[in-house]
Amino acid sequence: MCGILAVLGCSDDSQAKRARVLELSRRLKHRGPDWSGLYQYGDSYLSHQRLAVVDPDSGDQPLYNEDEKIVVTVNGEIYNHEELRKSLPNHKFRTGSDCDVIAHLYEEHGENFVDMLDGVFSFVLLDTSDNSFLAARDAIGITSLYIGWGLDGSIWISSEMKGLNDDCEHFEAFPPGHLYSSKRGGLKRWYNPTWFSEAVPSAPYDPIVLRNAFENAVVKRLMTDVPFGVLLSGGLDSSLVASIAARHFAGTKAAKLCETQLQSFCVGLEGSPDLKAGKEVADYLGTAHHEFHFTVQDGIDAIEDVIYHIETYDVTTIRASTPMFLMSRKIKSLGVKMVISGEGSDEIFGGYLYFHKAPNKEEFHRETCQKIKALHQYDCLRANKATSAWGLEARVPFLDKEFINVVMSIDPEWKMIKPEEKRIEKWILRKAFDDEEHSYLPKHILYRQKEQFSDGVGYSWIDGLKAHAELHVSDKMMLNAPNIFPHNTPATKEAYYYRMIFERFFPQKSAILTVPGGASIACSTARAVEWDASWSSNLDPSGRAALGIHDSAYETKLSSTVNTNLATKIVDTVPQMMERSSTQVTIQS
Amino acid sequence: MCGILAVFGCVDSSHSKRSRIIELSRRLRHRGPDWSGLHCYQDCFLAHQRLAIVDPASGDQPLYNEDKTVIVTVNGEIYNHKALREGLKNHQFRTGSDCEVIAHLYEEHGEDFVNMLDGMFSFVLLDTRDKSYIAARDAIGITPLYIGWGLDGSVWFASEMKALSDDCERFMSFLPGHIYSSKTGEIRRWYNPPWYSEDIPSTPYDPLVLRRAFEKAVTKRLMTDVPFGVLLSGGLDSSLVAAVASRYMLDSEAACQWGSQLHTFCVGLKGSPDLKAAREVADYLHTRHHEFHFTVQEGIDALEEVIYHIETYDVTTVRASTPMFLMSRKIKSLGVKMVLSGEGSDEIFGGYLYFHKAPNKEEFHQETCRKIKALHLYDCLRANKSTSAWGLEARVPFLDKEFIDVAMSIDPEWKMIRPDLKRIEKWILRHAFDDDQNPYLPKHILYRQKEQFSDGVGYSWIDGLKDHANQQVTDAMLLKASYIYPENTPTTKEAYYYRTIFEKFFPKNAARSTVPGGPSVACSTAKAMEWDASWSKNPDPSGRAALGVHESAYEESKA
Repeated sequence: MCGILAVLGCSDDSQAKRARVLELSRRLKHRGPDWSGLYQYGDSYLSHQRLAVVDPDSGDQPLYNEDEKIVVTVNGEIYNHEELRKSLPNHKFRTGSDCDVIAHLYEEHGENFVDMLDGVFSFVLLDTSDNSFLAARDAIGITSLYIGWGLDGSIWISSEMKGLNDDCEHFEAFPPGHLYSSKRGGLKRWYNPTWFSEAVPSAPYDPIVLRNAFENAVVKRLMTDVPFGVLLSGGLDSSLVASIAARHFAGTKAAKLCETQLQSFCVGLEGSPDLKAGKEVADYLGTAHHEFHFTVQDGIDAIEDVIYHIETYDVTTIRASTPMFLMSRKIKSLGVKMVISGEGSDEIFGGYLYFHKAPNKEEFHRETCQKIKALHQYDCLRANKATSAWGLEARVPFLDKEFINVVMSIDPEWKMIKPEEKRIEKWILRKAFDDEEHSYLPKHILYRQKEQFSDGVGYSWIDGLKAHAELHVSDKMMLNAPNIFPHNTPATKEAYYYRMIFERFFPQKSAILTVPGGASIACSTARAVEWDASWSSNLDPSGRAALGIHDSAYETKLSSTVNTNLATKIVDTVPQMMERSSTQVTIQS
Repeated sequence: MCGILAVFGCVDSSHSKRSRIIELSRRLRHRGPDWSGLHCYQDCFLAHQRLAIVDPASGDQPLYNEDKTVIVTVNGEIYNHKALREGLKNHQFRTGSDCEVIAHLYEEHGEDFVNMLDGMFSFVLLDTRDKSYIAARDAIGITPLYIGWGLDGSVWFASEMKALSDDCERFMSFLPGHIYSSKTGEIRRWYNPPWYSEDIPSTPYDPLVLRRAFEKAVTKRLMTDVPFGVLLSGGLDSSLVAAVASRYMLDSEAACQWGSQLHTFCVGLKGSPDLKAAREVADYLHTRHHEFHFTVQEGIDALEEVIYHIETYDVTTVRASTPMFLMSRKIKSLGVKMVLSGEGSDEIFGGYLYFHKAPNKEEFHQETCRKIKALHLYDCLRANKSTSAWGLEARVPFLDKEFIDVAMSIDPEWKMIRPDLKRIEKWILRHAFDDDQNPYLPKHILYRQKEQFSDGVGYSWIDGLKDHANQQVTDAMLLKASYIYPENTPTTKEAYYYRTIFEKFFPKNAARSTVPGGPSVACSTAKAMEWDASWSKNPDPSGRAALGVHESAYEESKA
């Protein structure tokens, strides 16, 4: 990833303003530690902090077209850039950068080229010939982007909120899949796939089509000129990513750069479930596996830094971001600049446990659509910012545009969870990679239910966070919470604690509004809470216990044999309101 | 390099104090991006930001002795750690880190072990058994260290000023070669070599002894578990470092892992003298050479950040640090964590052009001694902080303790510049590596006069800086400078400009007192200004033209 900051039409071209833009751009330096660039044209500034992943030698930004009339600052990766270059035979490219193609596409096609880009990106393009500009963000919001307005009439675009929050009167998250055009003076959605309407699709399930689409998605993400690896928690999603990457590793440039094995990484408290599961998969695939252990104290000491970087006060996002943030630092220290990660699968396939209770395929499908549309506020935000904090880039093959189209066109009947037919969550994905002859993963891994992220790093992690928050937030503080924080009022001491830290870094009202809230159970949207009457009456539902649908929860109820110790321990220590990264657990009491 | 921060005896040991220490420690994270650690014992905090160069897998800090009663946070490299470990047979080591030996040496020898360390270091050690602590800095001050005092009676130590300047009532540079002990509450000098007295030595010059000493200094610095390279400007000093390093590369630990071809790096404006000179040397040595070009605008855009990082407003240091700072970012982005660099040679051998005017060997020698003692304020500070800004470590073989002892024991008559005998500056060093059979460098490089650093990156660099400052600073501002800045009053617009930036980041009186001032020509001490009456009239510190001793200046005046 890189960091971009653009200030457009600020009516100030002084040295002081230039120095201010440089200073603000430095707040994004963690995203692009390798080099920086600033382009000034009158009272417009385009700045860039670069992480060099493709063409490290010549791809410094901003980038230009032939006559330097068009200037672009980009955070992103364009996977189909070679193909696009070929479609522009009469254009001369200045660098080998994959992002170079944007200026030329604009020259050729005007504003309507964004959907031609296959990849993840946020960019600002300035056309000096008529002093107009464009800004756009990728389909799902895998890269982060904010837009702000200054009192002087300026428009600001920044990869992270910290690049513009102090200088804008108002700012918002830049909606994913949208384009801002100065000529039109507004935002327009450029991303318009079939599934966006949420109409229920009917294509039959074809395992091979699904498999090929995902393999393609992974393979195109192996494009890099620097050392890379995979985040491997040992769950289904990351294991599939690792398996495919390992299979195609020999053909990558990284392999030619003296690496002999795919590197894989896992984080956890000592003895955690993920570490065990990650190791098992790594052994099976023969990757060069790295384990990072952290302590609850390490995590707590990092919380302020985490919130500053990820720019949210959402409880589950912070819980899940912290281990990822710590691991990213270690990964980067090994010289690795890019990792492939498994985010998005649970949204596309309905992998969260609460999907067990989806009443029918229409509701199921609608919920997956909603989850995908909200990803940029949760898992995409986490995966991008927790890694970018250390100049590490995360790539997420499950959120490949073509792959999403394939998956979201399948009749959702196939995605429904049907214990009677032995179809657990994400069954169509598992089945697609169930290849007897040339197996991707051992069956028990392919069909295992995974710990939800924050549990997987160790059961005491969330308990530790809660205990810590308990020490620093008094009952009296909680009593006054609705008055102090009228918007998205924190319902727990943990939420209150995070909120205090967030507001210290980002005190503006606009900042508070960038973070979502609302009722949720175990990562559901507010509407899915209606799927089970008991959910809405249970104000603080412990995800797995309340849902009662994880296999081990079944087993706890059924038996007092071998599993009892483990299961009891889980039930005793599983924090309430657990669950993976995207919850809006602010159910008010 | 790493970043250390330690606080002792603060009244407050609450969680909010812990958070504050973590926050302050984060200000040093650029120095050690790889991991961080904090040890808290009652009202004492020892924090560490780590750059992992030796034993990346297990050497996270703070480090401990066997029973964890002694805790140490270190920024440094101990080159003789293996030998020292062998002398501590009955000790059990927890990590492979070179710095762990410090805790064990303390256990064995009490406070009197610092001189046993061969390397560069700043460390703080806490003995929980009697709650005493010590802090020490290496002989020459290659690593930076500051000491401060809080209103609550606390004592603070930090690798950089920015970590303690906001929380201390008063602070200052921790003197190189010194140790602070809480038991006596005093700072005393542990470094006490013969040259320190500034007496005139009499050992005759032996080229082979000098050569061996330098080769040893370079080879011991090849100890690393990560990719490294050499900063190569094409001048004598960096070329010698590169020549020796590439010669011994094959035997080094690093070569086993990273291949036997040495990486070299050079920075400059396009077409600059350094780029040309370095390319020539790199071709000769067959290194893998990397050139970085920057523009004057890029340099100017970086100035604020440079001053924030290097924590000085000294004009020549800012000028020379900026290209080094930019280059360090590029080097780091290639995955290189450590570089060897040529600092210190000009001080030890009297290599600055103004040494041409030294009236006699006594004055010559004393000036070299003064220059070495001041290195921590100038070139050591620059080399350390402009690389550490990007998590890159600079190692400086010319400032090897043993090598300094050898070079400073030579009768200074040999170092004198004698055009009559064809002895240009640093002749004894050049001559020591003038090996006809197995040449280190081609003769014309070995005997060439180098550009002064900031000139070498391109003549328009300094002109560009001056132009920029002239636009930002008015005559009226400069006229009032003595009222605004009574201490170390800036005498040029450029100096004034740097000063305003410095004061923005470090507004306290104590901060401005950490930066040296006083009259100087071309890097001389104030004392050496007496060597030539005409010097005191020209306030420009670069003195390319002022001295009129560079051969090309001779030629210009002839033409």
